[in-house]
Amino acid sequence: MARTRSLSAGRTSTAGRLLFVAVALIIILGAAAAAAPWISPFDPTVQNLEARFQPPGRTYLLGTDNFGRDVFSRIIHGSRSALLVGIVSVSIAVTIGMIVGLSAGLGGPWTDQALMLVMDGLLSFPTILLAITVVSFLGYGLTQVMLAIGIIYSPVFARLVRAETLSIKTEGYVEASRCLGTPILKIVVRHIVPNLLGRVVVQCSITFALSVVIEASLSFLGLGTQPPTPSWGLMLKDSRNYLAQAPWMALYPGVAVALTVLSFNIVGDSLSETINPRLQKR
Amino acid sequence: MRRISRCKIVLPVIVLIVLAGGFLAAGGQEEKARQQVLNFALQGNPDTLDPHKTAGTLTFQTLKSVYDTLVEPDMEGRLVPALAEKWDISPDGLSWTFTLRRDVVFHNGDKLTSKDVKATFDRIMNKETASPKAADYKAVQSVEAPEDYTVVFRLSVPNSPLLATLASGWSAVLPKSLIDAGHDFANKPVGTGPFRLTEWVRDSRVTLVKNPDYWMKGLPKLDGVNIHIITEQTVMIQALLGGQIDAAYRIDSKDVPTLEQNPNTKVDTKLSAMNLVMSINCSRTPLSDLRVRQAINHAIDKQQVLDVVYGGGKVIGTFMDYGNPYYKDFAALYPYNPNRARQLLREAGVGPDRVFELFLPQNYELHVKAGEMYQAMLTQVGLNVQIRMIDWSTWISDVYSKSNYDLTVIGHTGKLDPDGILGGYGVAARRYVRWENPRAAELIVKAATVSGFEERRKLYDEVLELMAREVPFMYLGTPYEYNGLRNNVVEFRMTPNLDTFDFRWTELR
Repeated sequence: MARTRSLSAGRTSTAGRLLFVAVALIIILGAAAAAAPWISPFDPTVQNLEARFQPPGRTYLLGTDNFGRDVFSRIIHGSRSALLVGIVSVSIAVTIGMIVGLSAGLGGPWTDQALMLVMDGLLSFPTILLAITVVSFLGYGLTQVMLAIGIIYSPVFARLVRAETLSIKTEGYVEASRCLGTPILKIVVRHIVPNLLGRVVVQCSITFALSVVIEASLSFLGLGTQPPTPSWGLMLKDSRNYLAQAPWMALYPGVAVALTVLSFNIVGDSLSETINPRLQKR
Repeated sequence: MRRISRCKIVLPVIVLIVLAGGFLAAGGQEEKARQQVLNFALQGNPDTLDPHKTAGTLTFQTLKSVYDTLVEPDMEGRLVPALAEKWDISPDGLSWTFTLRRDVVFHNGDKLTSKDVKATFDRIMNKETASPKAADYKAVQSVEAPEDYTVVFRLSVPNSPLLATLASGWSAVLPKSLIDAGHDFANKPVGTGPFRLTEWVRDSRVTLVKNPDYWMKGLPKLDGVNIHIITEQTVMIQALLGGQIDAAYRIDSKDVPTLEQNPNTKVDTKLSAMNLVMSINCSRTPLSDLRVRQAINHAIDKQQVLDVVYGGGKVIGTFMDYGNPYYKDFAALYPYNPNRARQLLREAGVGPDRVFELFLPQNYELHVKAGEMYQAMLTQVGLNVQIRMIDWSTWISDVYSKSNYDLTVIGHTGKLDPDGILGGYGVAARRYVRWENPRAAELIVKAATVSGFEERRKLYDEVLELMAREVPFMYLGTPYEYNGLRNNVVEFRMTPNLDTFDFRWTELR
């Protein structure tokens, strides 16, 4: 008995430490993005052709790229694209998903069926393929990428919101409120939204991580962030041809993407454990 | 004790397996050598294999081995007989008579006659074919076939560049019987060339097999060519080092040292026929102001861009490739001088409030990299330049056809005749830089009707000077071209100015 307890305590503390590291990384990322122009040692877009392919060292902490630009400064500035894309596209996805999900959950069976058919249709496409399709319709660029990611991930939120709405609307307090003649909009705002917000926040965290990956992928394909604006995906794309010559050009942006995604996933996981009582450990 | 005995059994078995593998591999190589099949890497997929319906270099590069033309360039760029053994041009220049070889057979067994040649050019000039090269034949009024082996081209005006057109890939001769039958030339080419095309798997490979009935006796020397479409440079270099491919067209300059150091590979270096430029839309203000265009030319450190992005080359100062016999040197006219650029912009009153859109064709990685450097250099002199990546089809439709751009980066490939390079410039509506200069336009038209190198050069000299002074482009230069080869590849030939491969003399030793 004592043994089990100590084991589970140990696990919690590992998870706790991991969560601490993840949150710390996200804070650092946010701070780096906010303070990018003041903390990066070099201008991320200025080319210094005398200093091409400098290995990591004292002057260039993480080396320089094929145009002699400082990789460290570009990673710091790249966090701006990553965070911007994450925040904007998740907001778009949440907005669309909320509206669609609530309408489907509260509307009649026909509305529900029709809306969910569209959402399931979107969900059935492979994400990257859908993103490329959307971007090729809208044109290349960061704005378009954010819109594309927002559209792609809206079905996830729509399904989630709909499912929660369906279960919440049969709860006693909602029924009671209805019987009292409270307008439907007020019920939504007062009772339904607050109750499903927790789940949505968890999903936001996971979607955030995914959108960072998609932004990097689209930029890697040349469809996302336009040069010379630094973006991790774009840096990886540039590094591709110099893998043998300048591995640091690929390594550090890759690490940045991996750490960011990992942090958001860890936060998402632990949030979902806190919110969902069934997953909660005693 | 038992352990040792197990070793005694296992070790010889491993040795045997390794040896057997080695023998098998050696056997495979012997087989390969006997078969003389060249494995060749190409960086992209041809859009179609119909030579009359595209302007794509990749198509002509692939089809050079499958089709022949009436005349062809030799290794010095002179036009020599091919399917036509001789030709006469009437004194007024309006009637060109070609006498065909009598021993030419198409891959489908048809004998080549004048009817095939007539049907071919009727097809090219037919509006329904919509050949992007149709303008090259605008002087041709009709093609006649009075005898089986005599073809006569009737011209409305004298036109010297026509001979070069007839030597280019887009004048490939097709069999009449298949043209009449509506054959699918886009996928299944049938020509008279040194190789037959047996298979084209899009984005993967093209298989060419020797044509045993080729009219040049003893050629081709190879039994076949497998063209592998490899879009990734890194993969291409690894395949070359590993021996999966024998020759790679246009490798990156940064891989040159790797291939030179490897004992099994070598690099073939030569000056290309390319004109690398940043094109300027002269119809848009303030780019219509000559001072702004001069400033752009002064702002770019040309040699630097050539070295960093394009792997070295020669700086040019006008719209003609460095190795061309018609080339004239104006490189000193607008040297790299950021201060002069800033001053010119100040005089023209152009500040950072005007945003210039620099369109980059996303599929041409080198042009994109050059564009990034241009953007940085133009920013240095105070211009506000924003990069817009676009795909190739948008580049063709919006930038090249409709001139919807401020600046763009591209390379103009070489042409056999200077008119192919300069034709149409000076008339704003005809070329995408929208440069208007009646004098240049008049000279270009005149030069096309004049014959004789010296006479034409006098006219082109003046055109090139006008283009050098008025800078409808930022002229960068002519880059070197590097082809990666395995040591056993000999006589890897490239047709001058057309950038096509000629595998007829190639051998594996």
